[in-house]
Amino acid sequence: MPAEDGHMVDSLRSLVSYSKGTSYIEARYQSRFMTDVSFVNGSLDRIRVVENAGCGIRVLVDGCWGFSSTNNMSKSALAESLTRAVSAARVLAKSKKNKVKGLAESKMVRGIFRMGANGSLSDIDIEKKVQVTREAEKAARRHSGMIKTASCIYREILDHKAIVNSDGAEVEIYDSKPEFGVTAIAKSGGQSATAHEGIGVTGGWNDLFRKSPVEYATTAAARAAKLLKADYAKGEKTTIILDPGMVGLLSHEAIGHTVEADFVLSGSVVKDKIGMKVASDLVTLVDSGRSEIANNAGGTILVDDEGVAAERTAIIENGILKSFLHNRESAHAFGTASTGNARAFQYNDEPLIRMRNTFVEPRSDKLDDMIKETRHGYLVKGARNGQADANGEFMFGAEEAYLIENGEIKELMRGASISGNAFEVLQSVDMVGDRFQYDIGTGYCGKYQPAKVDGGGPYVRCTAVIGGMQ
Amino acid sequence: MQDLLRYAIKEAEAQGASDCEAYAADIRESEVFIENSDLKQAKSQSSSSIGIRVLLNGSLGFYSVNRLVKDEIKHAVAMAIKVARVSPRDKYNSLPSKSKVNMLRGIYDKKSESFEASDAAKMAAEMLKSAKSYDKRVSIDSGSFAGNIMTHSLANSNGLYLTEKVSAFSWSIMGMAISGADVSSFDFQVGATHHVKDIDVQSTATEFAETVVNSLGPRKIESFRGEMLLTPSAVHELVEEVLSHSVNSDAVQKKSSYFANKLGKVVASNLLTVEDDATNTEALGASSFDREGVPHRRNVVVEKGMLKKFLYNTYTAKKGGVKSTGNASGSTGSPPSVSTTNVVIKQGRTSLDALISEMKSGIIISRFSGNVNPVNGDFSGVVKGGRLVKNGQVQHAVKEVMVAGNVFDALKRLSGVSKERKIIYDSILPHMRFDNISFTAG
Repeated sequence: MPAEDGHMVDSLRSLVSYSKGTSYIEARYQSRFMTDVSFVNGSLDRIRVVENAGCGIRVLVDGCWGFSSTNNMSKSALAESLTRAVSAARVLAKSKKNKVKGLAESKMVRGIFRMGANGSLSDIDIEKKVQVTREAEKAARRHSGMIKTASCIYREILDHKAIVNSDGAEVEIYDSKPEFGVTAIAKSGGQSATAHEGIGVTGGWNDLFRKSPVEYATTAAARAAKLLKADYAKGEKTTIILDPGMVGLLSHEAIGHTVEADFVLSGSVVKDKIGMKVASDLVTLVDSGRSEIANNAGGTILVDDEGVAAERTAIIENGILKSFLHNRESAHAFGTASTGNARAFQYNDEPLIRMRNTFVEPRSDKLDDMIKETRHGYLVKGARNGQADANGEFMFGAEEAYLIENGEIKELMRGASISGNAFEVLQSVDMVGDRFQYDIGTGYCGKYQPAKVDGGGPYVRCTAVIGGMQ
Repeated sequence: MQDLLRYAIKEAEAQGASDCEAYAADIRESEVFIENSDLKQAKSQSSSSIGIRVLLNGSLGFYSVNRLVKDEIKHAVAMAIKVARVSPRDKYNSLPSKSKVNMLRGIYDKKSESFEASDAAKMAAEMLKSAKSYDKRVSIDSGSFAGNIMTHSLANSNGLYLTEKVSAFSWSIMGMAISGADVSSFDFQVGATHHVKDIDVQSTATEFAETVVNSLGPRKIESFRGEMLLTPSAVHELVEEVLSHSVNSDAVQKKSSYFANKLGKVVASNLLTVEDDATNTEALGASSFDREGVPHRRNVVVEKGMLKKFLYNTYTAKKGGVKSTGNASGSTGSPPSVSTTNVVIKQGRTSLDALISEMKSGIIISRFSGNVNPVNGDFSGVVKGGRLVKNGQVQHAVKEVMVAGNVFDALKRLSGVSKERKIIYDSILPHMRFDNISFTAG
């Protein structure tokens, strides 16, 4: 059961004051309630509530990191866990070559933070969550005879955290991140096509359902049916207009990961490029813990797990590479300030450099003009999973690709991969739209642990490779 | 543990549940992380958790907590019942009855009890050293060495009680080779075993180093159609997921399996034989019983290209009118789902060298980075660590090459399977060669 405000901070404060030869101690209590409901083809597929609570303790001893965690919050169990973290750190002393020289000076946050939620999720009965999921799945399946399979998932993550460290952070955070999605599969004559429509936010029930659940269902179903009749795009390097979700995915996968300072240290392509032109002048690319420009972004955190404010970081400003993404350790190594990107998924995970909401800022172009000014190319929509390499090569999936010929949208093609070198693609950006949207909030980013992230942007025109069947 | 599980069941019955299952896990782990060619952090922790599944008038409820004390368990049971009250009824919900389980040997190594964080650090350091000493251009981005002991215990209201200990060691290494401005593709290699004596970080490090060094100096090539030779890692990324999805009874019943209605039919070249085998103690998916207490066994799913069997848990088996194949899966954090245990692709008769020397024109793929649609088998993505082969000779690394096609079509054009195989966590996979694949130049 959630503890009262302040109580947890008090017990962690006494823990971190005990030094034992450590240069830094961080204790993070996290209690999580996760609820999952999903329906597939008219049946309940999964229902579960998972309660997971405990304390993760991280220490720095002689320049080596040790971590331990416990699900027992008694004073003695916490003390024992701290001892284990310290001995783990000592284990590295012999073989670790480059000791951690220090942590960047950062303003340590103190206070209680509650994520705004319109319609508290804990006030909505589980019965309602079951009902909404069930009805949306049914609506997708009933949409047309071509839809042979449909599924709908509702998930919520409610967190209560207390972060206290020996440098003075004392934070308590209440967070609420629900998500909802519908998948429809259309089939006919051995062919099948899948479409997904969903949303993930930081906020409450009413923030999640600004559009009705059934609307997500009918949109997904209609698209699957349409895609079933579509042809494959032919593989070529051409003009591509990316939708906000694809721009978010490009920002996250292809740029964001290469500027995570831990990747930079092990030789990412952007290593020596701060201050250099890496993209078209039109590109300003940001990672922020706040929900900039539009509300309720799914990756919103106000304070990171090292107790640093998670503020706006301009990675690329008007085409110039400005900043990497840092925690306190990497910031110290680079002689800069932490950007508040240290995040851990659960209490038993250690904080790593992770993104938050990653996006391209809007400019002034209208989507209609972008299409009108394209002789041959594609408008691609519906971000699917993506991956990027340290050398900037990336690939990600798009659910729909509309062929553009002589300034007009022609037929819909099946989803395809978009790939290229991230920085070449960004250099090629020649039009940036005026309407902004977050659109990858249902996704989780994987880097040893999951993280809830979001991303977006306006429509952006660039040159990239679209891959299809040859 | 047995007492706590029995308590949960008694409590559920007292609160009105017709059936109840309690599954608990206790895990002790030590892990050392590698970052930027150095040791990064050592972790040492233990955790325990319990998942309560109840059935109430045919409705399912599930609740999980990570504190194993009576009060918490009582609360979890009450919450599971609350969830069941709002769940729709489903006549296929049931729990398995008690059956004889032959406990596997070879999945628990007593020596693991004295394996500590300091040993994990030693192994991680050795893996780093091996990779660096192979070639100084090798740059290690990250990696880890982990050892853990898991005790899992299960009881249900049909009188079943099972418990066993499993030890597991796994390690991974990821990075690239850097030579001036030339940065190779990422590569990721892993190793795994249940036994301390079988820990072999050197081979994993060497394979990783060899792969990244080989992918230096990539050249652009023209688009073409030709042969595709996948390494075990690429088989894992490209083929295994699709096969695992397609033989899963859950996907079959949800009509999202391409193999639905294809039982007894030819779905691949006769070079392909695939087993799901939790009794194979070489790979990490081995254990004596599944997530709901059904004994594990060897299931041949594809034999010489013919589809033989789907994989079931108790729920999907009841729905399909068959018996569970022992494939209930999942942690204490969710009700049982269906999944593969150890996926074992039978080795071929040809050596890897011979597979390459028979190639006329094609690409060896070490990693595939892209999308694979498990429902219809379509894949499209970027070739990583790719090398061009012409007339049986490896020419050079390639860059910005996309590969696209369909896994099911490709399986029918499987033209070679290597003798050599690799253990990738819970898979044992060979190298596999396919004909007539489309490669697009970037």
